[in-house]
Amino acid sequence: MSDDSSTPEGSTRRRALMLGAVGASAIVSIRPALAQAAGSVVTCEIPVPDPARAGKYIAADGSLVDPGTPGAFPPASGAFKGEDVKRALTGGQLPGTDHDRSKAYTNYIRRLQSGQSGFTCFASLQMPRG
Amino acid sequence: MRYVAVDSSALRIAPLDTLSAIYHRASGITHIVDSPVPELLAALAQPRTVDELLAHLSAEYDVPDADSAALAERLAELEGAGLVMRA
Repeated sequence: MSDDSSTPEGSTRRRALMLGAVGASAIVSIRPALAQAAGSVVTCEIPVPDPARAGKYIAADGSLVDPGTPGAFPPASGAFKGEDVKRALTGGQLPGTDHDRSKAYTNYIRRLQSGQSGFTCFASLQMPRG
Repeated sequence: MRYVAVDSSALRIAPLDTLSAIYHRASGITHIVDSPVPELLAALAQPRTVDELLAHLSAEYDVPDADSAALAERLAELEGAGLVMRA
């Protein structure tokens, strides 16, 4: 994924890749303090979009676009509960939306960054299980 | 069921000798990962099923333990970490 790690073209020796055993873990996650301090996942809310950018439409990839842009969805009528977003992030659908609208909104939520409304809630939803 | 990695622009990946640190801008979480995670994320720049991913990896690498159950577990782990989602 990084820009400078390319495989030589025409390389004849292939690198070995071990998938690892079932039950083994390949990830250790370091959580930011703000996420641990975040409120309950069940009760926190995520507005779509951020009130600072109210009125923008949400494109399928989650970017914010001008109202009326073809293929984009109008803002959600109300903020989504953390519990609903958590379900949507793992393949479920946001309440009151159809499949495509739910995907657009979920993509928007995935793009949230620090400082945007709903970010802390989203960050707390990202906590690895267990 | 197809899986896809989060957009690479949302990640900052720093190799640390044999491990890699992945900073996920959206969640603010840093993940320290071992192989095959960086390779899986690269392969999932486009959506793939477990079987498609296994075939792709087998074409790119020597995969002595090409086991779809183990791969599915790696994907579940990545999904739980928020680095991979269902497409």
